[in-house]
Amino acid sequence: MRIIRYTQPASRRFAPALSFPRSPWTGFESEIDRLFETALTGLAGAPYDRPFPVDLYEDKDNTYVRAELPGVNRDDINVELVAGNLTVTAARKQKNGDKEESYTFSRSVGVSEAVQADKVAATYENGVLTVTLPKREEAKPKKVTVAVK
Amino acid sequence: MSLFNTLIPPFNRAPAQRDGSVAVLKPRYEVSEADAAYALTVYLPGVAKDGLELTADAGTLTITGRRGWQQPEGWTALYREASAAPFELVLEHDNTLDAEKISAELTDGVLRASLPKAEAVKPRKIAVN
Repeated sequence: MRIIRYTQPASRRFAPALSFPRSPWTGFESEIDRLFETALTGLAGAPYDRPFPVDLYEDKDNTYVRAELPGVNRDDINVELVAGNLTVTAARKQKNGDKEESYTFSRSVGVSEAVQADKVAATYENGVLTVTLPKREEAKPKKVTVAVK
Repeated sequence: MSLFNTLIPPFNRAPAQRDGSVAVLKPRYEVSEADAAYALTVYLPGVAKDGLELTADAGTLTITGRRGWQQPEGWTALYREASAAPFELVLEHDNTLDAEKISAELTDGVLRASLPKAEAVKPRKIAVN
């Protein structure tokens, strides 16, 4: 629940617009500011409908995928690589008294096809999963000198 | 455009600044209530124990988490969704909590805290004569 405070408009006098003590836009502006502030900072939404954030990085040898998955057991994380798509599936189990609830999230990202599939590694630390995908030799940047005739 | 800005005075000023110069992110959290204590779960991915601070002030509980991970040299970011901003969560409890007895643990980026209620607020049985 969010409590919204309304600012009281300045006392209005029955006089033409030019003599208002504050500009007629001021109340409107502060409402718009407040609207943007809550939209940009108050992102505490329902934890289970939104997919988890994923970052993609690369350096000359590897592509890296970082996924924010707090509170998941290592055994409940599945990472699969199929034809250039990396799929991360995770199940978060919660024990509430006697019942155990389980929520699954899944997300697929496209990675390049030129990956050494047998050397892919993943680590899970502090709630962040990092998948390292080594590039194939032919995909690494190489310097080629071209002779101009 | 500048003529337009001068005609309408409020558009002259800089866009609204938020208080403080560092953007913070509010983490997702859940609070559930039991008889003697509240159970608080805060999702802080990427935060280790040394980046976490729990402060109990008069009537508020502040949780700040700094991510320990820096992007290594040589990594180019191709696509970013996660933010690097630190987490901050401020909970107001109006002195219904006994701040001395708060216990918390941080595992895998999730902070689970038990916030015992202050004596005056616990449910009590009243004997009827």
